[in-house]
Amino acid sequence: MNAKTFVITSGKGGVGKTTTTANVGCALAMLGHQVALVDADVGLRNLDLVLGLEKRIVYDLVDLIEDRCQPRQALIRDKRVDGLFLLPASQTKDKESVTEEQMRDVMRKLAAEFDVVLIDCPAGIEHGFRNAVAGADEAIVVTTPEVSAIRDADRILGMLGGRRARLIINRVRLEMVKTGDMLSVDDVKDILGREVIGVVPDDEEIIDTTNRGEPVVLDAGRRLARVYTAIARRVLGEDAPLPSLEDDGIWNRLRRLIGSKA
Amino acid sequence: MKEIEAREQPSSAGAEQASDGAAPVSKAALGRAIVVTSGKGGVGKTTTTANLGTALADAGKRVAVVDADVGLRNLDVVLGLENRVHRHLLDVIEKQCVLDEALVRDRVRRTLFLLPAAQNREKDDVPEAAMAALVRTLQERFDFVLIDCPAGIEQGFRNAVIGAQEAIVVTTPEVSAVRDADRVIGLLPPEMSVSLIVNRVRPALVKKGTMMSVEDVNNILRLALIGVVPDEKEIIIATNRGTPVIDIDGSETGAAFRRIARRILGESVEIPTFAVNAGLMARIMSTLGIARS
Repeated sequence: MNAKTFVITSGKGGVGKTTTTANVGCALAMLGHQVALVDADVGLRNLDLVLGLEKRIVYDLVDLIEDRCQPRQALIRDKRVDGLFLLPASQTKDKESVTEEQMRDVMRKLAAEFDVVLIDCPAGIEHGFRNAVAGADEAIVVTTPEVSAIRDADRILGMLGGRRARLIINRVRLEMVKTGDMLSVDDVKDILGREVIGVVPDDEEIIDTTNRGEPVVLDAGRRLARVYTAIARRVLGEDAPLPSLEDDGIWNRLRRLIGSKA
Repeated sequence: MKEIEAREQPSSAGAEQASDGAAPVSKAALGRAIVVTSGKGGVGKTTTTANLGTALADAGKRVAVVDADVGLRNLDVVLGLENRVHRHLLDVIEKQCVLDEALVRDRVRRTLFLLPAAQNREKDDVPEAAMAALVRTLQERFDFVLIDCPAGIEQGFRNAVIGAQEAIVVTTPEVSAVRDADRVIGLLPPEMSVSLIVNRVRPALVKKGTMMSVEDVNNILRLALIGVVPDEKEIIIATNRGTPVIDIDGSETGAAFRRIARRILGESVEIPTFAVNAGLMARIMSTLGIARS
């Protein structure tokens, strides 16, 4: 195998990089791919928590880089989804203890064993950012329809060394777009000038699933599960339609319950 | 000017001080330097800095808000001052300009000043000692110096913390934010006075048991709680407009920030709290390696 490696990045923190990595990764594995998720946020790791794998960490990225273990020892296999693995970050080291060359090296090793590698980038544009980007073929930039997030996304788009970069617009609130209180998907796309491969509605389900360590995509009935599955397909170049952003209002629910085609 | 008339001056002492804006302080006492930090990004550091700075200025204090997020500045946008930025923090440190050229005065609050970050430079360009000296200079001229720290725990974090004597740690009631806050608290100097703001609390989710309560969060972090801020969409509107949310009528978020500013000034103002959820707590406590007492 020779995996395609993607860095999930944003510039601004808290826009949903880790949640996106976990859910798109899960969705890719559920579609039958061998997937490695890499937490590049050395010192402030969280991907393990979002995946609910925090208790199974023995070795981490820095151990692997410093040859204290084999890739198989550091990779945690997710028992819920076949083909999904996590390479956790070290919590006690700092980002300066890893070089870009070392990251490239580890990603090359992982690429040989997997179909897809997703690298969860830390916030900011310091060493941690450069390390996360170093080992990636392409970038997926996550942003929210907020001025500060878009400004930071614009800044990092210029720091990706010519890598292809596509966008996921997260936490869209349709009702606020309609009232003119939030930028629309088209607005964001126009400003950043990149292909949009996903639009994720703001949904409180995500808080609950994050706190419980169960990626929302595991529950196929959920609206966000459909959204992330469509994004996973698009990451790999399929032309999957993006699910409608319209909230499942009571009329839609009634229609489905009754089975009306109206 | 209309702007000056619009400013409320509840305290007479404050009004007197405020009249000369950022003129040198005659009194010997230094202003308070407070870093607003979190570890995790996107939990509300910049919003907190902007709103507390604004509320303290409304109380008649001279306030400097410093954007320490070199390369990814946003405090200027949140305050609606981005078109007035000409010089920045690194220009001052590198003696390309004097401090007064870099300070941007707020349009409405005439005692509120922004020291913007450089957008096209790196955090590693800022020497820690020079940053400490700059904060000290600001403390001589302002009652409050609020430093907006970047996300993460790299050089940008160290630069933001170096000159401060106090820290406000901002977190949200989410496992990842609390874990990062816990890590950051461990990196702050032991002599620093540290207090906690729990931001984006959704009481309905706390009641449902899908969100940690404020008590849950502070059972883990164990800091002096200085504020609880509810989640509401007004904050997105305010940020996009470049208006502090404290100026939006009826905003609970704005009211919460005003209460926090009063607590910073030493007033005793009650803090609202919410219910506890045991199941979620057990997992978080064990994640963080803390035995429940």
